[in-house]
Amino acid sequence: MAAMAAALRGPLARFRSRTRVWTRGTRGAANAVGAGQPQNFDLLVIGGGSGGLACAKEAAQLGRKVAVADYVEPSPRGTRWGLGGTCVNVGCIPKKLMHQAALLGGMIKDAHHYGWEVAQPIQHSWKKMAEAVQNHVKSLNWGHRVQLQDRKVKYFNIKANFVNKHTVQGVDKGGKVTLLSADHIVIATGGRPRYPTQIKGAVEYGITSDDIFWLKESPGKTLVVGASYVALECAGFLTGIGLDTTVMMRSIPLRGFDQQMSSLVTEHMESHGTRFLKGCVPSLIKKLPTGQLQVTWEDHASGKEDTGTFDTVLWAIGRVPETRNLNLEKAGVNVNPENQKVVVDAQEATSVPHIFAIGDVAEGRPELTPTAIKAGKLLAQRLFGKSSALMDYSSVPTTVFTPLEYGCVGLSEEEAVALHGQEHVEVYHAYYKPLEFTVPDRDASQCYIKMVCLREPPQLVLGLHFLGPNAGEVTQGFALGIKCGASYAQVMQTVGIHPTCSEEVVKLHISKRSGLDPTVTGC
Amino acid sequence: MATFKEVKVSGFEEFDQAVKEHKGKTIFAYFSGSKDAEGKSWCPDCVEAEPVVREGLKHVTEDCVFIYCQVGDRPYWKDPNNDFRQKLKVTAVPTLLKYGTPQKLVESECCQSNLVEMMFSED
Repeated sequence: MAAMAAALRGPLARFRSRTRVWTRGTRGAANAVGAGQPQNFDLLVIGGGSGGLACAKEAAQLGRKVAVADYVEPSPRGTRWGLGGTCVNVGCIPKKLMHQAALLGGMIKDAHHYGWEVAQPIQHSWKKMAEAVQNHVKSLNWGHRVQLQDRKVKYFNIKANFVNKHTVQGVDKGGKVTLLSADHIVIATGGRPRYPTQIKGAVEYGITSDDIFWLKESPGKTLVVGASYVALECAGFLTGIGLDTTVMMRSIPLRGFDQQMSSLVTEHMESHGTRFLKGCVPSLIKKLPTGQLQVTWEDHASGKEDTGTFDTVLWAIGRVPETRNLNLEKAGVNVNPENQKVVVDAQEATSVPHIFAIGDVAEGRPELTPTAIKAGKLLAQRLFGKSSALMDYSSVPTTVFTPLEYGCVGLSEEEAVALHGQEHVEVYHAYYKPLEFTVPDRDASQCYIKMVCLREPPQLVLGLHFLGPNAGEVTQGFALGIKCGASYAQVMQTVGIHPTCSEEVVKLHISKRSGLDPTVTGC
Repeated sequence: MATFKEVKVSGFEEFDQAVKEHKGKTIFAYFSGSKDAEGKSWCPDCVEAEPVVREGLKHVTEDCVFIYCQVGDRPYWKDPNNDFRQKLKVTAVPTLLKYGTPQKLVESECCQSNLVEMMFSED
């Protein structure tokens, strides 16, 4: 003891006193015992998804010392995945690939009309598709790892939470604690699917979108509960690959989207093999001796109870933000108590000036990858570059990849009417038949377009809604037009590309107000 | 301390054979332009990357097999129909990959020690 005291007075004393002064500062990590000193960064991003990675990479490009802490809590089923967030692993990417698999099935069925000698009926292997999709996702995980390393962004595979407003602690898979501190912190932890915990058997026997893309075996006969785009897109591709699929909805489909378009989407699905149980709510999930699941539900219209047997129950009833385990109170970051999302201003700043939040975890933001990415990049540029540009969240285009795709940009008809009044809104619309549908005699009953405009000339376009094949590809270009403030007059001056479905947008001329038949007939 | 067993092969047939012989094991493969009589490869990036790869190998975290594969001479490599391109989707030299996984580093990436080390120590 005396020897140590002597050493402390000696050359070591300078070292000791320096660290003591340091830990008294705001970056002190008094609560994390045994973790050592925090590693310090200019920017710490919590969450390695679309928004987080974009922000981190941009900041690193601007020459800053950046760290990303990403961690995937396994789903109740045990599913886990690598770096890249929801979009890459359990969202956009695998979804679009499986949607494509389903569309191909439809094309193969049509092929013989076009002269192809294809043996029918054709079989689909879930195993083969899932493996191919999972391999692609893994290559994206790897790509992100290489990119981060290449740009000198430090990556920590740890579950992070706040110790104080400048310091974060994280535990890795092995239980080791790491301390990180930063001048600026970005929360980009996204969200996870919600489980109806009040329904007995729901967590135990049901799966969510976190699991469906990683299943090694086919989900078989599936009940999808929910009316969100997640529910409809999943039900859509499951039906398309030949599985017996049922959608159970409590009330309206695609809440928040134009309701006329949403009905057409579900109408199409219903007439193409997906069963719908409308106005129904499940109350119990039981496992049968066969291994199948027995679901009990209540039909609200009749008040009666009914049961059904399924191989898989997929919950798609909404998503919850990943804020519960961040210890946000320790940092003083406020969340909206109603939805647990982080409250942010136009600069993406939280209630703490140097802590920001982007992507799905932030309140009032679209739950989309491109907006998260853009917001992340602009934030980095504002913090470390010379920019003051804010993210523009208006007129963000999006597409629902149901069997018949729905692309939209701008206001829904209801929103436009609520904002401007019925008398000031003009809606042009048309039912059309894609040329490709004619030869195989495909049903085009729900192929429909509507353009919501201001009534006063030049009739500013407020919103465009397109239901049909390749809706995403069609809508993207028109989003530019709307961003530039296009009017109906300008749209009419645009010559169409023939023969396409897209050209029907620039040929719209029947208004809802006129009451005339909006069906397009031939050239 | 993890160990690696090095297997030196030349050409696609030998590579394929080596993979079959070590089925079930973790296999890292390094593809390089073939060396001449003086031991020098026609591929300058391969020459630069080799010491980096060998250094990275020392950080391997599990017992594995390291296949060092000389692909052939320059004209063979440039032929778009060669077996490496067609059957293995290896289109650049040097390439360092973990067989059966999407983990791959190509060309100048193989010269970066931090990336190479990540490749060998990732699980």
